[in-house]
Amino acid sequence: MLEPVMYTGGVYKHNHMVELVEDLGGYILQKNVMQTEVVLLMLVPINDMTIVEEKAKELLGKVTRAPLTGTEIATVAPTLAYHHLPHLDCDVAEFLRKQGSKTNMVGLARGVGKRICQLTAYERDLINEHDLAVFILGNYEHCIIEKSKRLYEGIEIPIVVTGAPQLRTEDVPNATAYVGNFGRILHHMRHSEELRTLDKLAEVIGAVFDNVRKEIAKDPPAVAPPRIKKEIEEQVQEIIDSLHPLPVTLQMNGVRVKLPYEEYHEQIENIRFVEGVTMKEVARVLPSKMRNFILIRALPKSETGFVI
Amino acid sequence: MEQLETFIVESPDTVGARTTKVLIQDTLADLSLNRVIGRLKVFVDPVEPVFIFTALLRLGTPAIRLKDFAKVEMGSLGKDEVRIELQREAHTVKLLNKLWEKYGKESIEQPDKKVIVVKTDPIKEVDVLRELVIEEPQAEVLDRLIDAVALRIIPEGFRVRKHELSTSHILFVASEDTLKPEWIAKAKEMLESMRREEENA
Repeated sequence: MLEPVMYTGGVYKHNHMVELVEDLGGYILQKNVMQTEVVLLMLVPINDMTIVEEKAKELLGKVTRAPLTGTEIATVAPTLAYHHLPHLDCDVAEFLRKQGSKTNMVGLARGVGKRICQLTAYERDLINEHDLAVFILGNYEHCIIEKSKRLYEGIEIPIVVTGAPQLRTEDVPNATAYVGNFGRILHHMRHSEELRTLDKLAEVIGAVFDNVRKEIAKDPPAVAPPRIKKEIEEQVQEIIDSLHPLPVTLQMNGVRVKLPYEEYHEQIENIRFVEGVTMKEVARVLPSKMRNFILIRALPKSETGFVI
Repeated sequence: MEQLETFIVESPDTVGARTTKVLIQDTLADLSLNRVIGRLKVFVDPVEPVFIFTALLRLGTPAIRLKDFAKVEMGSLGKDEVRIELQREAHTVKLLNKLWEKYGKESIEQPDKKVIVVKTDPIKEVDVLRELVIEEPQAEVLDRLIDAVALRIIPEGFRVRKHELSTSHILFVASEDTLKPEWIAKAKEMLESMRREEENA
C-alpha cells in the first residue's frame, strides 16, 4: 500500500529524496520549487516510511501525511448562480486543491429547492467518475435534511455534505460525512475561524479517503494508478503537448487522461509494461463523461489474478 | 451596519437566522446599499417554506434635471438655437452625452467651458430641455436593490414570489410552493410595525 505524503525542505540535495522514493518503488506526483524551498507530493510504500522519514531528518526537511494527494474531488453546487459562487464554492475547491487533490467544480442544472431538486443522468455519471463529491449546501437544517433525501440518488462515491448547522452525520440521509459551520457564505473565507472550518473539511475528507484506501487494499488493483500515469507519460508523446491542467489526473483507482477517446484509446490499451502485460489486461479504458476524455479504471487483483 | 436602525432576521432555525443575517450584510455591503435601507425585517421558515423580506427605504436625491443646475434660454435673436448656461460643471459629461444622443454631434456647440449651444427649434425645445433628466440615482439604486434581494438573498429554490416595490418600501414574499394569503398578510404586518417604529422614533 502506498502512503500519500508531502515533503517540504530545502532545494539543496532534494534530489536525494526523489531518488530514494523512486528506488523504494514510490512515485513523485508533483514537484514545486519556490526559491530555496521545495515541496514534493509523493506516494511512498507504507513499509518504507521510516527510511523516508530518516532521510528527511538528514536533509533537515519535513515529511507530513497528505491524504488528499492523488485524488480527484467534485465540488458540487446546486447551481452556478450568485447564491453559491464565487465565494464559498471557489474557496472550498481552492482549499482542497492546496491540500493536494484535483478538484472539479460541478454546477447542477436543477439542484435548487428542497422539494424540486433533482440530478440529471449526465450529472450523476459525471460525479461518479470522481473519488469523492462535496455537496455545498446552505443555511437551514430542515432544507439540508430534506434535500439530502433525494439529491444524491444514484451517486456511488462517498458524499461529504457541508452546511451551516452543526448536525451529526447520522442525521443527514445518504451522506458519508457532514461538516458544519459552512452555509451560504457570500464573502471570501479568510478569518482564522473560517480557515479552521476549511481545515476540518480537509480532515474529514482525508479520513473518508483513508477508509476507502483500506477497502481498496483488501483487493488491490492489478496495477497502481501512479504506475499507469508514469507509463502514459513515457509512452504517449502527445500528452506532453496537452494544455489541460494535469493532463493525466490521478485518481484512487485509476487515472483520467485528457486526450480524445476515439483517437487514443487503442494506443493506450496497447501500452506495454516491462512485466510483459498490456494496459487492457490490467485496466479498463473507458470513454469519460467529461468532454471526450479517457477514463482508465484499474482492475482488481481478484479479476486478473496477478499484481504487477 | 450602524446605518440600519432595525435589522431583524427571525426564524425558528436560530443558526439559519444568524447565517442569513451575515449573508444579507455581505450582499448589502457588496452592492453598497447600506445607506439606502433604513429598517429591515426578515422572516424565514424553512419548514413551511417561506421567506419574507421587508424594508423601509431611504432613497437619496430624486432625479436631477437640467434646470436644476443650468439656465436654459433662447439663443441670439433670429437664430434657431437654445443656449444652456451651466452653473455647476458636475454633470457636464452626462449632459453632453444625452444631447449628442438626442440632437446629433453636429448640432451641439460648446463655445465656452460653461456654455452649450444646441441648434434646434427654440420655441418647441426650450421647455423640453429644461425638464431633461440627466441622472436618476433613485432608479439606479432600486435596480441594485432588486438585484440584491431577488437574485442574491432569497434562497434560489424559492421560485414563487410576490413583490411590492416603491420609493419608500420593498416587500418580497417567496416560497417553493403556492403562496398562502397569511404569509402576505404577515409581510404587510411586518412592514406596518416598522412604519410605526419609524413614526415613534
